[in-house]
Amino acid sequence: MQPEAAPPALLSVRDLTVAYGGRTAVQAVNLDIAPGEIVGLTGDSGSGKSTLGLALLGLARPPGRILAGEVRLSGADLLTLSEPQRRSLRGREVGLIVQNPRASLSPLHMIGEQIGAVLKAHLPLDGAAADARAVDLLRNLGLNDPERRAKAYPHEISGGMAQRVLIAMALGAGPRLLVADEPTSGLDVTIQAQFLDELWKTARDVGSAVLLMTQDLGIIANYCDRVLVMQDGAIVADDVTKRFFAAPRDVYSRTLLSLERVAPPVAPGDAAIVLEARGLSKSFRLRDGRKVLQAVDHADFVIGRGETLGLVGESGSGKTTVGRCLLRLIEPDAGEVLFEGRDMGRATPAELRRLRKRIQIVFQDPLDALDPRWTIRDIINEALERPDAARVSELLGFVGLDPAVAKLKPRALSAGAQQRVSIARAIAAEPALIVLDEPTSALTPLARVEIVRLLRDLQARLGSSYLFISHDLSTVEHLSHNVAVMYLGQIVEIGTREQIFRSPRHPYAKALLAAHLAPDPSRRRVDRIEDAKLAGEIPSPIDLPRGCYLAGRCPEAVASCRTQLQPLRTLRDGRQIRCTPVAERDGAKTDPVAA
Amino acid sequence: MVRFITTRLATTIIQLAGLALVVFFAIRALPADPVARLVGLNASRDAYLSSQKSLGLDRPVLEQLGAYLGIIPGSSGLLQGDLGRSWVTGSPVAEEIARVLPITLELITVSFVIAFLISVPLGMLCGLRPGGVADRITFGYSLFAGSQPEFWWALLFIFVFFAQLGWAPPPLGRLNPMSSPPPFVTGFITMDSLLAGNMAAFKDGVHHLMLPVLTKVFVLSGPIVKMVRQNMVRALASDYVLYARGSGLWPARIAAIALKNALAPALTLLGVLYGYILGSAVLIETVFSLGGIGQYAVRSVLAFDYPAIQAVVLVIAAISLFVYLALDVAHALLDPRIVS
Repeated sequence: MQPEAAPPALLSVRDLTVAYGGRTAVQAVNLDIAPGEIVGLTGDSGSGKSTLGLALLGLARPPGRILAGEVRLSGADLLTLSEPQRRSLRGREVGLIVQNPRASLSPLHMIGEQIGAVLKAHLPLDGAAADARAVDLLRNLGLNDPERRAKAYPHEISGGMAQRVLIAMALGAGPRLLVADEPTSGLDVTIQAQFLDELWKTARDVGSAVLLMTQDLGIIANYCDRVLVMQDGAIVADDVTKRFFAAPRDVYSRTLLSLERVAPPVAPGDAAIVLEARGLSKSFRLRDGRKVLQAVDHADFVIGRGETLGLVGESGSGKTTVGRCLLRLIEPDAGEVLFEGRDMGRATPAELRRLRKRIQIVFQDPLDALDPRWTIRDIINEALERPDAARVSELLGFVGLDPAVAKLKPRALSAGAQQRVSIARAIAAEPALIVLDEPTSALTPLARVEIVRLLRDLQARLGSSYLFISHDLSTVEHLSHNVAVMYLGQIVEIGTREQIFRSPRHPYAKALLAAHLAPDPSRRRVDRIEDAKLAGEIPSPIDLPRGCYLAGRCPEAVASCRTQLQPLRTLRDGRQIRCTPVAERDGAKTDPVAA
Repeated sequence: MVRFITTRLATTIIQLAGLALVVFFAIRALPADPVARLVGLNASRDAYLSSQKSLGLDRPVLEQLGAYLGIIPGSSGLLQGDLGRSWVTGSPVAEEIARVLPITLELITVSFVIAFLISVPLGMLCGLRPGGVADRITFGYSLFAGSQPEFWWALLFIFVFFAQLGWAPPPLGRLNPMSSPPPFVTGFITMDSLLAGNMAAFKDGVHHLMLPVLTKVFVLSGPIVKMVRQNMVRALASDYVLYARGSGLWPARIAAIALKNALAPALTLLGVLYGYILGSAVLIETVFSLGGIGQYAVRSVLAFDYPAIQAVVLVIAAISLFVYLALDVAHALLDPRIVS
């Protein structure tokens, strides 16, 4: 497992070059993987990771072609073998897991059948034996009721489950090397951690080597023995994980890790309250008219001047709906929003227009939020009282763009630059509060780092407050003064960044933070003894149970949790938490805030 | 699945009921006088009036509708399964349609099945190697076949296979006028002759079907091959095929996965195609003097034979909708996402 010991390589790649038409995507790559070793491969979007991964199996996505090089697997060069010989190695010697698992399964075939097909292609099994084996694999991967799951079609299972089906297909024939390309993109944090734990454990159990490709340095720090960094089709760094994170040698990784070394923002002392939400609730009636989806359930929070409140939670937790209710882009069902002391809900249309200049929003996908037919100048001018070229240049300068981009259209810019334009538009009216709804989620890691920097600079310079909505805990940690954790529409814990990130108290917040993979190999998740694991996946936000929504999954649940609504209670250290057993242990006063 | 079929069936019935009403009013809105057409321009006023009375056209439109639908007491209409009597021949329209419809259905169903059996493997072959020899030849063929109208190909085939080579019989109907037709059971000549054990009539029936089917298959195959090929190319470029290759599946298994994914969406389009060729059957029926429902429809329209027009439209629509339904069910069986 130690590359220093230099055991004979399981996989040895030399001068591998892949090109799409005239564009070279992978340029003379050399790499070695020892048996049983878990190697991380990182790099920005478009650096050639996925192309390299497929080329290791002798494949290229059309019109790509492998132009040169050797891929030696236990000595034999895969690229000089005949196609039938290569076929027999794929899946048997090298397993493959890709991103977007559901698109990688045929939509018209049952998943048991698809796993069985891989088994039959490599092992001397008949149909019935392959089916039975497929069910066993699913059971070993922790799927409940594997017989029924095997008869499900890909559209009937969750993304996390589909990803496990891919592990079953990749490991079913017992390969010695597993190539996993962004296996957790699109999964929620807790599911991602569960999945990677399983992958890590399975690989260690069967002694198979793994090449884990990911943009997330947190994943690499937590699960990999060695790190490779790819840039523009070439490998620019190759180091043992601990040494890599201590002192990355390449510019790309240094930039990504630079945020870790910058102290998080200091909370302004005794800030005046800019916005206060009280009992904010919103439910949606589903199309069939009977079922109700509770998106936001009695949310209470305050945001002070110059302060950032981070709102975290997994998909479907209601984060985005909260943000939209604040601007009344969605009309809340109940509760009030006091902005600078005025009730947004009672504002007349004219007042609301004025108020909306003071609260701005930045969306996840910048290209969707910018009119493609307008120039950048038009887009920013629209947010100003009257067209003002000097002010447009000034704003573009604020967000770190060359004023010359004003005459371009959004499509001519990179996603990161588009997001800067969105931010420039948002700050044009000098708002008191900006709602940032996953502003970094559609960006590459490098662009994400730059946007986080920019947001911190702007806050220091303009003193605006942020509501920062994200599922990406690292980014939230870099930006927020206070953090609220949402689960199924409820804020389950709200406190300062240190309280939430260092010592979460609510069982869900604990599980969420335990699933957070920090880019720090000294705090590896696999070395930690997990105290409280949540069972199962997040239930659907339709027809929620009475009592605590977490009760069915919670290791600390007591009988009353299942029947009684949990109020948000203030603990002695000032944070609020929606968990009666924990609050009572803390000795919190009874019911200071109505649920 | 049962729920899916029930809902689709209910929709079909509502569509048919709506169509019956539309047709009923639409033909009455035409600036035409069926009575004058029937009795002739020189008929006396009395003859005109008595003819008008016997056709029921002297009654208010809503009363006519009631009689047509069979909701007026004592009347016999659609609800009783009665399509009325032809104003031209005086015999029940249902009987006439039962005689002509099987001729058309036999022709287009046989053509359809043969075209499908040829086109699917061909489309698959083209899709597996886009730009290959098979793909280029097929592309040339479908351009060629689609470049001329169907009846022109029919005439050309008659010229070659009947007039020049003498392999095909003359284009004068479903059977040799000298041979004795089998007793009427289903109306499908091939089926009836087999039921009667009359092998001579069966051979003759198939022989006479040869050229019309050849024409239909020749013209139909182009679009079906194209459709299967496009879907196949798309399926082969998908992530699941790339992943199947990465998992080391046998090439034949990958082709089978791609074909299933390529065929499922093609089924719905086949239904549309079937309805279309049923509606346009008149051309080929005329060229080969087959006397099918297409020719019957044209004759009824030209004679302002209201009951016949209404019945033909309803029957053709019912068959098209039934085929849609059957193909939708087949699609749902192939693709479980449709039902959920």
